[in-house]
Amino acid sequence: MTTPVLELRGIDKSFGPVQVLHDVAFSAYPGEVTALVGDNGAGKSTLVKCIGGIYSIDSGEYYFEGNSVTVSSPREAAALGVEIVYQDLALCDNLDIVQNMFLGRERKSGLVLDEATMEEMAAKTLAGLSVRTVKSLRQHVSSLSGGQRQTVAIAKAVLWNSKVVILDEPTAALGVAQTAQVLELVRQLADKGLAVVLISHNLNDVFAVSDRIAALYLGRMAAQVKASEVTHSQVVELITSGRSGTLGLTNGSGS
Amino acid sequence: MRAGPSQEEIRRYNLGTLLRHVHLGGPTSRAELTSRMGLNRSTIMALTADLAAAGLVREELPRETGRAGRPSLVVRPESARIYVLAFDVGVDRLVAARVGLGGVILDRRESVRQRGTFDLAEVISTLAGFARQMVRKTRPDTVCVGAAAAFCGAVRESDGTVHFSPNLVGPIAELPFGEELSRKLAMGLPVAVGNDANLGALAEHTRGVAPGCRNLIYLHADVGIGGGIIAGGHLLGGHEGYFGEVGHMIVNPGGRPCGCGSRGCLEAEVGERALIDHAGMYGRVGREAVRTLVEAADRGDIAARDSVHRAGDWLGIGVANLVNIFNPEVVVFGGTLRELYLGSAAQVRTQINTSSLPAARANLRLRTTALGDDVTLVGAAELAFTQMLADPLEMLARVSP
Repeated sequence: MTTPVLELRGIDKSFGPVQVLHDVAFSAYPGEVTALVGDNGAGKSTLVKCIGGIYSIDSGEYYFEGNSVTVSSPREAAALGVEIVYQDLALCDNLDIVQNMFLGRERKSGLVLDEATMEEMAAKTLAGLSVRTVKSLRQHVSSLSGGQRQTVAIAKAVLWNSKVVILDEPTAALGVAQTAQVLELVRQLADKGLAVVLISHNLNDVFAVSDRIAALYLGRMAAQVKASEVTHSQVVELITSGRSGTLGLTNGSGS
Repeated sequence: MRAGPSQEEIRRYNLGTLLRHVHLGGPTSRAELTSRMGLNRSTIMALTADLAAAGLVREELPRETGRAGRPSLVVRPESARIYVLAFDVGVDRLVAARVGLGGVILDRRESVRQRGTFDLAEVISTLAGFARQMVRKTRPDTVCVGAAAAFCGAVRESDGTVHFSPNLVGPIAELPFGEELSRKLAMGLPVAVGNDANLGALAEHTRGVAPGCRNLIYLHADVGIGGGIIAGGHLLGGHEGYFGEVGHMIVNPGGRPCGCGSRGCLEAEVGERALIDHAGMYGRVGREAVRTLVEAADRGDIAARDSVHRAGDWLGIGVANLVNIFNPEVVVFGGTLRELYLGSAAQVRTQINTSSLPAARANLRLRTTALGDDVTLVGAAELAFTQMLADPLEMLARVSP
C-alpha cells in the first residue's frame, strides 16, 4: 500500500471551552481523491484549517510525506505543497486570470514583473488541465462564469507544484453541466498524481470521483473507508449517526 | 521454413512504430524516441529521415529546453498534410471530419438525422457530400491515407457490413455500408466500419481518459447502449466482430421490453427511452432530452430524480456483471452515460459495491470520457489510421497519385 502524503493522528482542537475536534486521524494519498464528508458543524472546515495552518492544533501529530512537521501558518503549509481552494474562491474580480493565479507570489525579472513567464506558466497549467472554456488569460475574473471561476481557483492551486489540493465544496453553487466539468477536473488532478481532498455535501458527487471517504461526526472521525467498500446508505448513516453496522464509532469511544 | 523476419520487415515494423509514437504522443524528441523504442540513435535518425523524406513527419529544433548540451531534434507529425476521413453515423446525427496525423480534427461537418426509416442512399450521399466539400478545400499537397466510419449497430468485421441495428427503423438486416460509402467517395480508398462503442473503447484507450490502459471497458449510450472491451491491450472482436453488445445483457429478467425482442436488457432499463418514460417526459428524444432530464433531477424534479436513480441502479448492476467477468482497470462512461453516471454515481457505486466480487472491484476506476461527444469520431479516425501505421511507406505509395 502506498504511504499517505498527508497524515494526521490524534488531532485535538478546542476553541475556548468548546472542543471541536476529538482525536481525529486523517490521511490523503497521492493519486487519490479523498472525500471529507460530515454534517454541518461536524468539524470539516476546522480540520481543513488545521491542515492549512490557519488554526494551530492543540495536540496531535502532523506528518507530511512520512516526516513529522509543524505547520503554524498558511505560508508554511504552502511551502510543503498544501493548497486550499475555499468555497468563496478568494479571487479578485478586478484582476485578470494570470494576475489572480500569481497573486501575492508574482514572478519578477529584476525590478519589474515578468508578465511573459507568468502568462506562459498560467497557459501551460490550464492546458495541462485540459481547460478549453476560457477564451483569454487576460480576461477579468468578473467576466467569468461560476464554473470558470472554480477552474481558475483550482488551476491557481495546482500551479505551485502542490502535492495536496483541498477543495471546499467546489460544486456547491454550480449547475449540472459545470458540476460535471469540475468533477472531471477534480478527478484529473488526482490522476496526475496529486492527493486531492474533496469536501462535499453532495454524496452523489462524492461517489462520482472519490477513492476514499472520510466521515466526520461531531468532531470525531467516524470512519475512513474505500469508496469501493461502502454503499450510499452506509455513508449516510456514518454522517448522521456516526456509525453503520460494524463501521464507525463505538459507544465507548471517548464520550 | 523461415528463419525470422527479414531486414525489410523489421524496418517496416520500426517505421510504423515510430510513426505511431509521434501520432499518439505528439511532438517527441529523438532522444525520447530512442529511449521509448529501445533502438540506438543512428537507427532512430535513419527512420525519421525516411519518414521525413516521405513527408509524414518534420524535424525541428525544440524551443528552449533550459538544459545544457545540444538539444535533441523534435519529431512532429505532419498533421496538416497527412489526413484521414472519419465518419460517425449516430441515431440522431451524421458527422464527417478530416483528421490529421496526430489526431487533430482539421475540419468537420455535422447534420441532424431525423429519426425514422434508415435510408442508406441518403445517409451515404450526405456523408460523401461532406467529405467532398472538405477534400475540395484542402491544399494540393495533402494526402488522404484512409477512411473509416463508426456505426451505431452491429458490424461484421470482415467486410464492414452492418447487420443488426435495433434503434434504426427500416430494412437494414444486411447493409453493405462500407462498400457503398467507398464507392460513393470514389477516392480509391476502402472505408473501414466499426461499431460505435467498440471504436469509443479504442479512442479512450489511445488518446482518451486512460491512454495505454490494457484492460478497459467503454460503455456508450446514444439511444441504445453499447460497449467496447479492451482486454490485455486488445479490442475484443468475437467470432465475426459482433462483440460487445453489452446493452443487451439482461439485468432485469421480465423487465421492460427491448427493441431487440427480449426483456429487461441493460439498454431497455437504462437507455434513453426508459429514462424519459419514467420521468414522464413523453415525446422528447435525443441527447438534449437526456441532458435536460438529468438537469431537472439535480434541480429537484422528483419524477426526473427517481428515473435517474432507477437507471443508475440498473447501470450499476450491469457494470457489476462486467467487473466480475472482465476485472477491468477502468470503466469509461460516454455518450449520454456521462451525464447519467455523474447524476447517479451514488447508485451506480452502491450497486457495484454490493453485487460484484471484492477482489475484482477493489482497484476499479470509474471515469467519464475525456473526448466528449467526439469520442466515436476519434475512434473512427484511429481505425482509419490503422493501415497507415502498420506500413507507412507502402500505404503512402498506394494512395499517392
